Amino acid sequence: MGSTVSPRRLVAAVLAIGVVLAPGAPGVVGQTTDELQRELKAMKAQLDELQQKMKKQEELINKLSKQKPATPAAVAAPAATPGTAPATAEEQEVEKRVTENVMEKLQPSLAAANKTFPAQFNPAIGLVIDTVASYQEHGGGNFEFRSGEIGISANVDPYVRGYAIFNGTNDGVEVEEAAIVTTSLPYNLTLQGGRFFADFGRLSKFHDHDLPFVNRPEVLDQYVGGESQADGVQLNYLAPLDQYVTITAGAYNKMGADNEQVSNEVPRALNRFTYLFHPATFIALNDSNSIDVGANLAWTPKVDTYTTGDGLEAGDGRARYLTDFDITYRYIPLSQASYRGVTWGTEVLFNSEDWNVGPEAEPAFQRQTAWGLYSYIEPKLTRVFYPGFMFNYNQAISRTAGGTTTYSPYLTIWASEFQRIRAQYTYFSAPQDHQSQFFLQWTVILGSHVHGFRER
Amino acid sequence: MTRNLLVLFVLSVSLLGRATADDAKIKVVTTIPDLADMTRNIGGDLVEVKSLATGVEDIHAVPMKPSFAVLLNRADLVVLVGLEAEHAFLPGLLEAAKNPRILRDAPGYIDTSVYVTPLEVPNRIDRALGDIHPMGNPHINLDPVLGKQMARAIADGLSRNYPEHAATFQQNLDVYLAKLDEAIARWEKEAAPLKGKKLVSYHPDMIYFADRFGMEAVGTIEVRPGIDPTPGHVAELEDMMRRNKVDIVVRELHYPAGLAESVAQATGAKLVELPAMAGGVPQATDYISFIDYNVHTMLQAVQGGA
Repeated sequence: MGSTVSPRRLVAAVLAIGVVLAPGAPGVVGQTTDELQRELKAMKAQLDELQQKMKKQEELINKLSKQKPATPAAVAAPAATPGTAPATAEEQEVEKRVTENVMEKLQPSLAAANKTFPAQFNPAIGLVIDTVASYQEHGGGNFEFRSGEIGISANVDPYVRGYAIFNGTNDGVEVEEAAIVTTSLPYNLTLQGGRFFADFGRLSKFHDHDLPFVNRPEVLDQYVGGESQADGVQLNYLAPLDQYVTITAGAYNKMGADNEQVSNEVPRALNRFTYLFHPATFIALNDSNSIDVGANLAWTPKVDTYTTGDGLEAGDGRARYLTDFDITYRYIPLSQASYRGVTWGTEVLFNSEDWNVGPEAEPAFQRQTAWGLYSYIEPKLTRVFYPGFMFNYNQAISRTAGGTTTYSPYLTIWASEFQRIRAQYTYFSAPQDHQSQFFLQWTVILGSHVHGFRER
Repeated sequence: MTRNLLVLFVLSVSLLGRATADDAKIKVVTTIPDLADMTRNIGGDLVEVKSLATGVEDIHAVPMKPSFAVLLNRADLVVLVGLEAEHAFLPGLLEAAKNPRILRDAPGYIDTSVYVTPLEVPNRIDRALGDIHPMGNPHINLDPVLGKQMARAIADGLSRNYPEHAATFQQNLDVYLAKLDEAIARWEKEAAPLKGKKLVSYHPDMIYFADRFGMEAVGTIEVRPGIDPTPGHVAELEDMMRRNKVDIVVRELHYPAGLAESVAQATGAKLVELPAMAGGVPQATDYISFIDYNVHTMLQAVQGGA
């Protein structure tokens, strides 16, 4: 029996190898470890399938052979159904030999497919290009190359991951973020260190190109100093409750990419750092409606006297308190999440700090409290068109001048998930500056792109 | 001050105590209801299962709710379709959940696509091809035979994490696969009239269903995966459909109705509205009734009953 069966099995085995090694089989170059593992699994599954087929064919051959009247075994054999006939020891031995034979032939290819190369450990890389064409009633027009931003990220080991954002602008290249984040701390904790956007408020931690509108609201520019960039460390805690509650505590040299109060390069006493406390929660009104709420306090116990770009003096060795309350309402119908929805977001900020209100010859620092807010609403009409309106009002942070008000209707057109065109009109009103502004923004994302929880 | 701290401590201890009392069962969070149903069948009384999606969502656009991070934070296991189907929400949620047990490649991360040989694996990774999935088309849950492999991956994942219950999981898997096999045999018989029928769907998610039941998926209303249709594309699609005598236009229920209707009307094809996962319609209460609904709805359309 073995002598009649073995050649067929061998032919089948050779066919199996041929199928697996066919030119159509995916190549090795450019594949990731996941893909290679998947491919191996797929090959294994194919091999299993072939073995099953071979077994069935063998059983069929046996059955047909046994049906011949001249073969005594056929008379004695029970009418076994395919797939249920018990394998004899001899058959099992033959099958084992065939399997070994196939595996022996396959092994070199499997080993080749398993090969790795150093570049496989390279981090994921993405690039964002953000350009704006603008026209301002009093300033004229400009094609503004806003940024070319390269982001890279990867796990470092089982305990931390790292990421960095390098931003090239007309002013040069800057390390916007470069941070290490833990991934496996116990007690629901995440520790972050390096340079990153501090977890302050809502839109302060968005990169410019991720904002829902062309320009960052004036109140964030003036009070936070643009993006909440900070060199330091922060700890985030997810409370073990049914309700989503997180608390972030941070310590930084300073907060705000354009914050001029202190240099990152100068060492300072502990009471010259900025400390953050930020609890936040999420309230699900029902499946489609929800509210995010957060409160933020950035406290600097002592701010040494510094001069702003406007020539104003602040600090005087006294404390600064920057407080922020943010609320975001979302309507996202589950079955139409890509096509319908509304987002309404508002942040109110209060700043309390000492400012020099005296003449140049006789400085007189006085505690000034200023406040401001922005609020925007953005309905989603289709997967492509997102109109919106943003309002901003803020007092001058030094209270030495009047406030700033802006009204900004805009329309975002998502050509795809990776390409966006936005048109915005802004009526800008500040002391001695009332004007219309027009913006056309074109933003694209190349390469790696992740949907981060921070930017949701 | 000391009194406040004491109150806070007592409150914290009571909260932790409550969490401990709930720990008796294996907490599993699945991304879609299909996987929740399979996990309940395989895990039986040993598991407590919750699904992030309810079934009416687009699997590529499930909202990233912070409340999901709470569920995932407490999960012992996460079960997902895989092949990057959940790329829009799961990685971000896992980051927010702060649960190292279920991070990618951790034992508690159960990818149900591991035993599936995917279709439409791109031979070129390029965004000009749309929002493609580098490891292949991820809509494997629409093929009940692949559903068996997904169930096997769940059973293996449960056993890997809880080897002391492996025999129970295997036994429950065998029972569930027998139920599925019985249903598959019935569907294959019932679906004979579907063989050779051509379909166009809104998104390329019907390919596994078509492949299983002998149908032919010949195009999509989307220009490319994730890219909204343009008038030019729709005109070309309708022309192609007329030339190829396409029988069916499938609108997955999470896509807009108007365009699919007009394409069907313009080409004389039948419009069929299908859920893409269990829970997508009230009749699809579990995985088997979901496939049942899709097969019968498609049959009704082909046989003129729709």
